[in-house]
Amino acid sequence: MYQRGYEGSARRARTLASRMDQSLIRNFCIVAHIDHGKSTLADRFLDLTHAVAERQMREQYLDRMDLERERGITIKAQAVRLRYPSRGVEYELNLIDTPGHVDFTYEVSRSLAACEGAILLVDAAQGIEAQTLANFHLARDAGLTIVPVLNKIDLPQADPDEVAGELAELVACEPEDVLRVSAKSGEGVVGLLETIISRVPHPHGDPGAPLRALIFDSSYDSYRGVVAYVRVVDGEIAGRAKILLMASRLSFEAEEVGVFAPDAVSIPLLSAGDVGYLITGVKDVRQAKVGDTITLADRRAKQALPGYREPKPMVWSGLYPAEGGDYPMLRDALDKLKLSDAALVYEPESSLALGFGFRCGFLGLLHMDIVKERLEREFGLELIATAPNVEFIVRRGDEVLTVHNPSEMPQPATYDWVEEPFVLATVVTPSSHLGPVMELCQQRRGSLQDMKYLSPERAEVHYLLPLAEIIFDFFDLLKSRTRGYASLDYEHWGYERSDLVRVDVLLQSEPVDAFSSVVHREKAYSYGKAMTERLRELIPRQLFEVAIQATIGSRIIARETVRAKRKDVLAKCYGGDITRKRKLLEKQKEGKKRMRRVGRVDVPQEAFIAALRVDQATSGSEKR
Amino acid sequence: MSEPAGLYVHIPFCLTRCGYCDFNTYAGLDQLSNRYVEALQREAELWAPEWQDATFVSLFLGGGTPTTLKHDSLVNLLRGLRSTFSLEPDAEITSEANPDTVDEPYLARIRRGGVTRLSMGVQSFDPNVLGALERIHSPDSARRAFSAARRAGFEDVNLDLIYGANGESIESWKRTLEEAIALTPEHLSCYALTIEPATPLGRKVAAGLTPAPDADLQADMYELACEVLAMAGYEHYEVSNWAKPGHRCRHNLGYWEGRPYLGLGAGAHSYRDGRRWWNVRSPQQYLAMVSAGERPIGGDELLSEGERRTERLLLGLRTAEGIPVDWVEDVRADGFVAHGLAERRDGRLALTDRGLLLANELVTELVE
Repeated sequence: MYQRGYEGSARRARTLASRMDQSLIRNFCIVAHIDHGKSTLADRFLDLTHAVAERQMREQYLDRMDLERERGITIKAQAVRLRYPSRGVEYELNLIDTPGHVDFTYEVSRSLAACEGAILLVDAAQGIEAQTLANFHLARDAGLTIVPVLNKIDLPQADPDEVAGELAELVACEPEDVLRVSAKSGEGVVGLLETIISRVPHPHGDPGAPLRALIFDSSYDSYRGVVAYVRVVDGEIAGRAKILLMASRLSFEAEEVGVFAPDAVSIPLLSAGDVGYLITGVKDVRQAKVGDTITLADRRAKQALPGYREPKPMVWSGLYPAEGGDYPMLRDALDKLKLSDAALVYEPESSLALGFGFRCGFLGLLHMDIVKERLEREFGLELIATAPNVEFIVRRGDEVLTVHNPSEMPQPATYDWVEEPFVLATVVTPSSHLGPVMELCQQRRGSLQDMKYLSPERAEVHYLLPLAEIIFDFFDLLKSRTRGYASLDYEHWGYERSDLVRVDVLLQSEPVDAFSSVVHREKAYSYGKAMTERLRELIPRQLFEVAIQATIGSRIIARETVRAKRKDVLAKCYGGDITRKRKLLEKQKEGKKRMRRVGRVDVPQEAFIAALRVDQATSGSEKR
Repeated sequence: MSEPAGLYVHIPFCLTRCGYCDFNTYAGLDQLSNRYVEALQREAELWAPEWQDATFVSLFLGGGTPTTLKHDSLVNLLRGLRSTFSLEPDAEITSEANPDTVDEPYLARIRRGGVTRLSMGVQSFDPNVLGALERIHSPDSARRAFSAARRAGFEDVNLDLIYGANGESIESWKRTLEEAIALTPEHLSCYALTIEPATPLGRKVAAGLTPAPDADLQADMYELACEVLAMAGYEHYEVSNWAKPGHRCRHNLGYWEGRPYLGLGAGAHSYRDGRRWWNVRSPQQYLAMVSAGERPIGGDELLSEGERRTERLLLGLRTAEGIPVDWVEDVRADGFVAHGLAERRDGRLALTDRGLLLANELVTELVE
């Protein structure tokens, strides 16, 4: 798309490039819970400002990745410059479309930092949800002006008055101040644009000061390299400028600057208050990290913009090629993928059971899913992912050991204690389902921090929970226990001491590293039992009896047996159709090849994947 | 060159279709049988030039139910084939038979017409098991047919038995084996019931209407058969086949030993010099092609060296004689020998009774 930027119509570029006084600029974003209509509202803004020719318009215009469109989510931020005339004056509106998922909270916070205002969009039928709350707090903490808006007011089941009350209560305004729109039909959207102009403050940067531009996201274009999405706070930047990244201390030449309108259009200059892009010419997004401050190499700003943070992976998993020979392909694919994904970290590891692969760190489970799916889709790989785990900190005297792979957790009694990451979770639920929600949180080792009623019918509860307890299936269980009504969001809290033990799984007395897990001591028995039972179902009978054991240290806590196979033969092998028999055998042989041999035991790949699901069976009393 | 070969003739007609059977056979097509027998003779003539140098040591009439043919039509067919091919004077000529389709006069006619061996689909002597298999005959009719065969002069009779049908207990299977032995047939084939997906029974199992056979129970039944038949003087010479000394089925040995065979009739398979081909399955299409003077080939394949090797192992290891030890690397077989699944004897590697029941698994381990 950046090629188009180059060639884009000259007239259009001139219009877009014409310098705007900061008082005519509004930078804002939309924060909303999933499915509350954020992308549809963005589509209406594009319509109203004629940013996209009608014939090119499509739904979820700003979500460019296939994955985003399929899942109806936003993964990458987008920034689009809209021209909008209000009472004879033309304004420049920069809409920054942010990701909404908790995995990308840091990216969201940087996008918010690039704005002065935020539309807090709430579905008039669904009401406030957990993500609404989380994003509202982020936006408020970033000092943004909040414009509360109800969407989907034309839905028959909408209850605008009720929800407007909730929303007014949350943002501390009058219910009449809550705007009401239908992003789908366009009703009220013009009024919303007018409100943005009147209520959202314009930028107050110093165009004469040394350049300070915030990178709030970046993407990788195979033709042009890394594209940084920037908000210019002070000063100005033109193409060909020598720039310096203040956190990474890297210096290079800006190849091109431009804006998205919504496709990339190259312009000569971005100045204080502007939102646009900068083509860096570098080939690795790690060289233009989200949160970093761009300044000019020969006229440096004294101080970087606040808030830079290194991406920190929270969830780890081993990725292994299903076909061992694909290891070099996986390595190359990860090397390529990391160019466009600054949060992805990985290191080679080898597993006795799975061979050579990589231990990868992700921002969260969604991020992990996305990476795995992109590797499979864009690089044609078939992967086995081990059960995701969090990072553990093991303390031994003054020594601190960081463990990313459960099989590397030291044996008990060789350390003082273990710490695991906790999150502060927010659950919004109908009050009638509060009991089951709290029960679930307790089962997952949660401790109640706070509880509030949004209205008599809806409550929000805050729990401190181990991250490990919510990464698998917590959300699914929450949904099923509240008939789909509860919503969840969380923020990382930090590490706390926990009574954790490593549970190993042994096949024929040999530990299978890929099945090791670190679990709370109280859950170790039920985990070991569930895991061995599951494996008994998944491991096919073999020529000999297979013993499956779960152990803590040298203590066996569960045992199952796969009895020896006795019969595996084609009863009838005459009539001359030997071709069919041979093909059956070849298929059987092929099936065996796809299994992993651990010691003498053939383990199907599904066993490694299915081990992920064991947690569902061990979560407290319930079995689904 | 006079290479020993087998001749197979497929008769795709049955009185009824059994629920478990996935063979190429049809009920209610008997009106085609005269034309079909004529077509078999024509097909034989189409192949004759290429098979002049082969000596057929066995002929097997399979089905379907060959004994649904009228006796004179069956006898004429044999006569025609003898005049078309070079069939050894003392060739083994087997016909499959359904107990309900034969009586003594019929059997006497085909015995005189050249059939030397009879293979009867008895399946079980337990009426409940016969019901579960949807067989139309009763245990009594099987016994009657057997004695009719003896009176008709058959000195080489096989009984086919099937074990592991729904509801069959180990005791019931034991009684079936004892009843079979009491008749003193020269040969017994005992097949574990196999569920084929494309059969009525397969669909019932898939729909959960009837249970799939229990592999462990079938293994127990197999072991019982090994024990009981050995005591009765039968040699276990192939996975599912037992015979009194000197009564092994030469025709089937031909398949297992990789000898050439020519198959005539709808869906019949042939093999020679690494090439296998098979006829079209539909009897109508078969008739149309043959009457147009065309060989009714439906498909063929040329086996690669690896595939031939796999087949040699797959087939050879099914037999009591096994394979020459040097066909597989010692290390691959050592474990099986150590675990009592295989034995090395006189330069040959053969599976034990326990190993035979795992032949698929073992062969996949032995081929590279």
